[in-house]
Amino acid sequence: MKLDVDGLDVLFPYEFIYPEQFMYMRELKRSLDAKGHCVLEMPSGTGKTISLLSLIVAYLLKHPLELTKLIYCSRTVPELEKVVEELKLLIDYYEQETGEKSNILGLALSSRKNLCIHPEVSREIYGKAVDSKCHSLTASYVREKREKDPSVPVCDFFEKFDGFGRESTLTSGVYNLDDLKDAGKQKGWCPYFLSRYTIGYANIVVYSYHYLLDPKIAELVSKELSKESVVVFDEAHNIDNVCIDSLSVHITRRSLDKACNNIDTLKKKIDRIKDTDAERLKDEYKRLVQGLRDASAARNTDAHLANPVLPDEVLQEAVPGNIRNAEHFLSFLSRLVEYLKVRLRIQHVVSESPASFLKDIYNKVCIERKPLRFCAERLHSLTRTLQLTDIDDLSPVTLVANFATLVSTYTKGFNLIIEPFDDKTPTIINPILHFSCMDASIAVKPIFDRFQSVVITSGTLSPLDMYPKILDFRPVTMASFTMTLARSSICPMICSRGNDQVSITSKFESREDIAVIRNYGNLLVEISCSVPDGVVCFFTSYIYMESIVASWYEQGIIEKIQKNKLLFIETPDAAETSVALHNYHKACENGRGAVLLSVARGKVSEGIDFDHHFGRAVIMFGIPYVYTQSRILKARLEYLRDQFQIRENDFLTFDAMRHAAQCVGRALRGKTDYGIMIFADKRFSRADKRGKLPRWIQEHMKDSLLNLSTDEVVQVSKKFLREMAQPFRREDQLGHSLLTLEQLESVDMKKKLDQTIHHN
Amino acid sequence: MATSSEEVLLVLNEVRHLKRDGSLYLMTERLAWQDDGKDVFSVSHFYADIKQQKISPDGSSKIQLQILLHRGNSSKFQFVNHDGPPSQLKDRDAAKELLQQLLPRFRSRANKELEQKNKMLQNDPELFQLYKDLVVSGVMTADQFWDSRKNNNSISKDAGDCPGQGTGVSAAFLSEIQPQADGCNGVKYNLTPDIIEAIFRIYPAVKKKHLENVPNNLSEKEFWTRFFQSQYFHRDRINTGSKDLFTESAKLDEKGMKEEAAKAALNPFLDIQALTDKSLDDGYGAKTDYGRGSADQVNSSIVKRFNLHNTRVLTASENADSTSSSATNALSKLIPNSSLADKDTSHTNHVNNHNGPSTSTSAPSSSKRARLQEAISYKDLKSHSTGMGVSLKLQRTEGYYHGPMPAQAGNMVSPEEILRAVHVVQRDMHEYRSNQSKLPSRQTAASVLSELSPGGALMGGSSQQPMHTLYGNDLQQEISRMYVALSELLRHFWSCFPVSNKTLEEKLLRMNDTLQQFQSKKLIPFKESLARQHLQPNLTDHLDDLLDTAFRKFASWHSKKTGRGLT
Repeated sequence: MKLDVDGLDVLFPYEFIYPEQFMYMRELKRSLDAKGHCVLEMPSGTGKTISLLSLIVAYLLKHPLELTKLIYCSRTVPELEKVVEELKLLIDYYEQETGEKSNILGLALSSRKNLCIHPEVSREIYGKAVDSKCHSLTASYVREKREKDPSVPVCDFFEKFDGFGRESTLTSGVYNLDDLKDAGKQKGWCPYFLSRYTIGYANIVVYSYHYLLDPKIAELVSKELSKESVVVFDEAHNIDNVCIDSLSVHITRRSLDKACNNIDTLKKKIDRIKDTDAERLKDEYKRLVQGLRDASAARNTDAHLANPVLPDEVLQEAVPGNIRNAEHFLSFLSRLVEYLKVRLRIQHVVSESPASFLKDIYNKVCIERKPLRFCAERLHSLTRTLQLTDIDDLSPVTLVANFATLVSTYTKGFNLIIEPFDDKTPTIINPILHFSCMDASIAVKPIFDRFQSVVITSGTLSPLDMYPKILDFRPVTMASFTMTLARSSICPMICSRGNDQVSITSKFESREDIAVIRNYGNLLVEISCSVPDGVVCFFTSYIYMESIVASWYEQGIIEKIQKNKLLFIETPDAAETSVALHNYHKACENGRGAVLLSVARGKVSEGIDFDHHFGRAVIMFGIPYVYTQSRILKARLEYLRDQFQIRENDFLTFDAMRHAAQCVGRALRGKTDYGIMIFADKRFSRADKRGKLPRWIQEHMKDSLLNLSTDEVVQVSKKFLREMAQPFRREDQLGHSLLTLEQLESVDMKKKLDQTIHHN
Repeated sequence: MATSSEEVLLVLNEVRHLKRDGSLYLMTERLAWQDDGKDVFSVSHFYADIKQQKISPDGSSKIQLQILLHRGNSSKFQFVNHDGPPSQLKDRDAAKELLQQLLPRFRSRANKELEQKNKMLQNDPELFQLYKDLVVSGVMTADQFWDSRKNNNSISKDAGDCPGQGTGVSAAFLSEIQPQADGCNGVKYNLTPDIIEAIFRIYPAVKKKHLENVPNNLSEKEFWTRFFQSQYFHRDRINTGSKDLFTESAKLDEKGMKEEAAKAALNPFLDIQALTDKSLDDGYGAKTDYGRGSADQVNSSIVKRFNLHNTRVLTASENADSTSSSATNALSKLIPNSSLADKDTSHTNHVNNHNGPSTSTSAPSSSKRARLQEAISYKDLKSHSTGMGVSLKLQRTEGYYHGPMPAQAGNMVSPEEILRAVHVVQRDMHEYRSNQSKLPSRQTAASVLSELSPGGALMGGSSQQPMHTLYGNDLQQEISRMYVALSELLRHFWSCFPVSNKTLEEKLLRMNDTLQQFQSKKLIPFKESLARQHLQPNLTDHLDDLLDTAFRKFASWHSKKTGRGLT
């Protein structure tokens, strides 16, 4: 249908539309008009992505000068593939409606592992190995060598791409990862570099967060993207953690030892080159005098990871004199590594600021701040000069160099913690140096500054005002949309006590209480008995889950569950979990039904959807608070309090509740879907916790559902399931939660629509 | 030997049976022994008939193999390889091993038949009674009984044969084996064949052990005792290197799990490893605590165990489904034999490769695309008409194009005609007068009725009271049972006439014997018991009549036959 969104003609590829989709588009358009940023929360499964794409594509076509590009960031590979698929659907609709071929070019970009078509390299399982192998075939000096000695292997696909790919470009259309691979195979071009090159002029780019947020990758990939772009962070409820991750580093003693070995290897290499090709080292020295930047320009295959420091902070100066010489640099590095080793040799926890670290390193081993800042760049230059191909082996020393650059660049918003041992195993010495970023806004700030509009959106962003605070930006619109429903297809409730009236909670003091564990078990047994197909449970941590499973086994609860359904459990091992998930799906498909025990913040909760029969009920066992004894967290909380005036408890609750909402929200997709959401902890019923749940969940949480016992929960869910089993037709939805074009344009609907939106 | 066209799996020479030298043949369907001098099998047992094999103890001087049959008899084979006891032992073990593999399959087939018969008896109480009367009392053998039922029940048998849906195993089946304290410092586990079968299905490793060790190393009971004592059964097992029978199995399981994991080319949307699009080293990013399991080995191994257990349960039921749907023989439904299982896994392998994240496959898998499409589609936003509908397949297109042919005009009946016919019928009915002149008058009718009622003149021969008030319920039932049994036998008897061939003649002779047995074993005792209860013996008059008629018929046939034989 063709919509009129505040004067903009939008083609929407469906016959019907949800009211909130229309409102979402309207809000989005406003912020695009204002060239500002926005925070939009819309319930999961209400077609956020297609609304976004429809509006922005229409905007791109209508105002090609004001907005040239859409950069769509998602979290996981399957998600970004879904986005591209939806884009395809939209562009097909455009072509069908207008009758001519659209000249929109959209594509996905992913790591080499997902795009490589080289027969040998693509066989590697780990992304790192693929990167390294690719590098060894495509680095500029390898290719130079090849010109002299044809026996040196190179990647044909890259050669072909480099030869012709840049001139004859991809024709307009939408390319998913597989399409890129097909195109690559057909033309003999490397899909990865083709995609990386194409995002420069494509209208729509879909890739994962890291390509924009992690400066090490963004500097390589996203540097050239135009300012007149709209950046969308979908599933952005966790964006602050991605930001923090991208600037944090941790170093163990093992990696230091390996770094030492690396330095030795480099030394040997240098000695050898000195004998054979001393010119090369001299060249490098000269180049470094002139400055690093121009030397490495336009050689995108050489760098594996860029400087960890942000594009703004690009170093314009020449490399300091004391590390220009390759040997000097190496001895500098080994001094640094030795110093770090000494620092790790401690008995107690040390926590200090980067400034005091710098002071200490200057006092102890006379390393100044300036050469430290150039560490990462200088190492890149060295590997280039030495023409090293297997960069994978050098990763420990690269890590140390990156750390050096980070610690000397940022004095604020970072913290350095050295722990001599793990808290759980205080007898085993395993020192770790954590250099952690505490301020999410550091990594994301350049993006807000650089791009015209940034859209932060997710199904669960409540409370909305938290995100502008922790990301330090000023949005022009902040809105939360409710879900209009013809039948209440979600059933959130709080189970606060067991049948024996013992209150259930995962509170630290009572989490080991046998009564609590038994009550949790009974709840699951009852639910597995009355809910069909899939039931997903989330625990607060692996350790808690494991201990509960063990005591359930002893109490015979596991057997009771297994009488009703099959049982699968997430483990810390990703491969094992994948198999368990796969089997869970199979069991849900073939009608046996299954229970999946999983962990909030775990991999499953972050990336797997449990729509329709894969998740008819979700049980949240306890409030998923982050492990509060972690020193890194404590430092961050302190920082947040001092810098952003966010109280510790507020942040912890916010963080716990967003994860809880995220877990339960996975069960719902679309208005024909339905699901039970059980929050099994009495603390959920407190206003400060409940109030932080997304509005669309809160609205369905009636007061009568706030303090239920296990029996009552089962009664309510039985009733709910009976209601849901009644036939549900389009006519029931139409005019209320589903609109035709005429209904959308009627006057009284406009008024109704305004009620679905809540501005903060 | 020439008589058999079956495949011979194993031939062992120098095998003695009843003190005669010969060779032992193990074929696909049966076991046979041939005397060295002859070329026919003097001993031949179908595997299905074999109940058990027994071997001589290790120390004994004779190396023997005994075959026990369901019927109760047995055959003993002695291995007398002239190379001496070691090779004799080898021969024996070869035969034993093969039999061990073969027997369970046929046993299950036999079980299957038994099960079916059992079911028939349960569903049909009359049949059950008949069975009791005829077979249990020894009038007929079970085989005769079932042979005679075969034709009758062919329909129901067919229905039974058609492969139903295989039942899966309950995930909680182990909980059914609750240990019970037996009062003197021990525990007792109750095992049923169902549970054993479930254990075998879920844990092939145990099954393997069972095949290896029972019955030559351990007895059945000992085996299960060890099983329950083992760490393997207790799921918080860690391989502590304890030496029990199942340590190895646990390791095998571990390996199986790993393989399963390595086969990670699953649904790309569920592959957690492929979710993130980041390939950075360990050192980058904040180290978090959520990724770590507990240091408690026991807990995490329990979790692993449950995953494995449930995966097995799931695959077991899948195997059952796939084999039964492929409508192979019934035995594979009970025990998925190795070849079938292999086929199945190779099949899934193939599919998996196809689905996998196409690192090396040429075309992007269509299934992945289909999954993507499904994941992004909003059914309720689309209009109804988008569905393509099912394409019409016609075998004969002309019928479709020409439409139904109009019937011949002459045969058509117009509505007016129908109406007219209705009127005619109505008029006729209206004018109907019954012609009662041929009927007896009311008085005669009433008197005849009263005469014929109990107590009337014409009913003088019979007792005044209705039968069912005269005799007790037990007796009535007894009589009706006698009638059912007798009529069943008579049915067979009479069905032999005319006696056209040899088999019928044999059957007739047999039936005659059976009837006589019936008379002597059932009817006469019944009469005697009637006499004891001082009841009228004429109750059984009709039964006697029936038997007499049959015997007369037989006698006349017999005399005719012998007469014919004489002439």
